[in-house]
Amino acid sequence: MATVLSTPPRRLDPEDDLRRGATARLKWRTGFDRWVGYLLPLLFLIAIVPILDMIFYIAWQAVPTMSWTVVTSQADYQAYDALGVPIITSFYFISLATILSVALGIFGGIATAEFLPEWVAGWIRTSANLLAGMPSVIVGYFGYFAFVLYFGWGLSFIAGVFTLAFFMTPYVFRTADLAFSSIPRHIREAALGSGAKPAQYIVRVGTPIAFPQILTGVFLAMAIGVGETAPIVLTVTTNVLVPTGIFQPATYLTGLIWTGYAQNPGSTPYIIAFQAAFIIILVVVALNIVVRVIAARFRKRLEGLYQ
Amino acid sequence: MGSVSPDGAVSASQPLPPPTPSEGRVVRTTNYVQTAIALVPALVPAAIVVGIAVTLVLSTGFHNFGWGFFGPIFNSNANQFGMLVFIVGSFLTAVPALVLSMGIGLGIAIASTTYLPRWLTQFLDPFVDLLAGIPSVVYGIWAFVVIAPIFGLLINPWAVMHLSFLPGFASNRYSPTTAGTGLPISIFVLTLMALPITTLLIRDALRSIPKDLWESGLALGATRWEVMRRVGLRHSSRGIVSAAFLGFGRAIGETVAVAMVIGSVTKYPTNVYDVTWTMSSFMFQILDAAFGNSLYLSALAELALVLLVITLTVNIVGRRLVSHIYAEEVAGI
Repeated sequence: MATVLSTPPRRLDPEDDLRRGATARLKWRTGFDRWVGYLLPLLFLIAIVPILDMIFYIAWQAVPTMSWTVVTSQADYQAYDALGVPIITSFYFISLATILSVALGIFGGIATAEFLPEWVAGWIRTSANLLAGMPSVIVGYFGYFAFVLYFGWGLSFIAGVFTLAFFMTPYVFRTADLAFSSIPRHIREAALGSGAKPAQYIVRVGTPIAFPQILTGVFLAMAIGVGETAPIVLTVTTNVLVPTGIFQPATYLTGLIWTGYAQNPGSTPYIIAFQAAFIIILVVVALNIVVRVIAARFRKRLEGLYQ
Repeated sequence: MGSVSPDGAVSASQPLPPPTPSEGRVVRTTNYVQTAIALVPALVPAAIVVGIAVTLVLSTGFHNFGWGFFGPIFNSNANQFGMLVFIVGSFLTAVPALVLSMGIGLGIAIASTTYLPRWLTQFLDPFVDLLAGIPSVVYGIWAFVVIAPIFGLLINPWAVMHLSFLPGFASNRYSPTTAGTGLPISIFVLTLMALPITTLLIRDALRSIPKDLWESGLALGATRWEVMRRVGLRHSSRGIVSAAFLGFGRAIGETVAVAMVIGSVTKYPTNVYDVTWTMSSFMFQILDAAFGNSLYLSALAELALVLLVITLTVNIVGRRLVSHIYAEEVAGI
C-alpha cells in the first residue's frame, strides 16, 4: 500500500477530514497502524542478535580448544589449560550454597504464603524483592566485611558459600511463597474443611501441588548463583587445588573469566576464560530451559485444578 | 483453561489470570502463637537486608568524612576520599542506558502484546527472558572482546568525524587505536542488561489491560496503535513507571560487566567517548588495593552504603507501584 504512505497529511486534526475527505485520513491512520506493526517487532532483533552472537561467539572461541582432558584434568590451571579443579570447586560451591539457600528460604516462603496477615506478608515480600534487586557488589562487600573480616574466616571457601547463599535465598523464598499462594483456595478450603491441620495441609496437600514450582525457584537460584561473580571474587582468593577444608581458598569458574578476559588472546588464561564462559552459558541456559518447562507445566496443572 | 470470578464461579472461556499472591489465603489465622512461629523463617530475607545494611554501617567505622565524601577530589594516597567522580560516572552510564532500554522495551512489549501473533511471541519472548539469565561476567567478556573493537575502530571514529558539532562529541585526543572501552560501550552493555527488566515489566503491565477496555476502543473505530497510545499506555502507566525504577536499580548496581568495559580510570569524562569509573565497578575492583588501610576500607563501606540507599529507594518505589510481577517467576527479576 505504498500509495497510502506517498501522500501523508501534514496535520492530524479534524479539519483534515473536511479538507481531504474522511477516506484519506482513515487510510493514513490504518496505514500508520500497519507500519507500526511491521517495524516495532524489528526491535526484537536488539535482544536476539546480541544473545545469539554472545552464545555463538563464545562457543566458537571455546569449543575448538575444549576436550575431555581439559575438562577433567586437575593440573595447575594457571599454567596449563586444565579446568578440572575449578569445575569441581564450583560444583562444591553451588551445591552447598543451594542447600543453604533452600534451608534459609523455603520455610519462609511457605510461612509467608500460609500463615501471615496480608500486610506483614506484603512487607516481607518487598524485603525479599529488595534482596533480589540488590547489586551483587554490595552483597560481596557484606560477605567481605562480615565473614572475611569480622568472623575472621579469611578469603575462604566458606565465606564465598555463605555470601553466595545469601544472594540466592530470595529467589527460593519468592517461588516457594508464590507456589503456595497460587494453589486455588477451594483446594485449601477442602483440606481444612475436612479437618486437616494447617501443617497437614502443607505437607500432604500443598507440597505435592506446589513442588514443581518450588523446584523452579531452586533451579532459578542455581542459575543465578552459577553466573555470579562479585560475591565470590570479593570473598575468596584463588587456589590451584580443590580445597580440602572449608577455610581454604578456592577458585570459581566466573573468577577465571574475570582474571583472563583482558589477557593476550591465545594465552592460557584467555583461553580458559572463554572455556569457563562456555561452560557457564551451557549450565545457565540449560537451567533456564528447565525452569521454563517446569513453570509451564505447573501453570497447566493449576489450570487443571480449577476445572 | 478456566478462570475464577470474584464469587468463585468458574468460567471456561477466558484464560487463567496470573495468580495474585493473596489468592490462596482464605482463613486469616488468629492464632498468634502460630503467626509468631511463622514469622521466624519468614523474616529471613528481611533479616539479611537489615544485616547487610548494619554490617556496612558498622564497617564505615563511623569515620566522619563530612560533606567532603561527596567532594570532587579522590586521592587515596593523600586520604582524600571525594566520591563525586564515581557517582557522576554511575549516573552518566545508568541514565542513558535506562532511557534507551525503556524505549526499546516499550517497543518490544507493544509489539509482543499488540501486533504479533501468539505463535510468534511464544517463540520470541523467551529470548528476552534468556537475556535476563545470562550472567553479567559473560556480557562483560563478550562486550570487551567483540563489541569494544567495533566501538573503538568504527563507531567512535565515525562519531568524532561526523558528529563533532554536537557538544561533547568533539575529541582531539581520540585515536582509533583506543580499545573502545569507555562510556559508549558501558551504556550499550547496561542497555542490554536493563532491557529484560524493562521489557518484561512493561509487557506484564500491558497484558493486564482489560480486554473490554481494549475492545471498546477498537469498536469506536480506533486503530490498535491509537488504542494502545491513548488508552493502553495510560491504563498501564504505573507498571511502566515501575519498570523504569527497577531498570534503573539494575543499571546503577551492575558491577562486573561494567568493570570490564568502563576503562577504570578515576577521571571526569571530558567527552562522550571518555573512560571513567562507576560506583559499583570501582568498589569491585579496588577492594584488594584497600586491604589493610582502615580509612580506605571505611570510605569504601560508606560508598557501598550510598549505593545501597540508592538501589533500595529505587526498588522500594518500583515494587510498591505494582502489586505483583509475573516475570519474576521465570526470569528471576
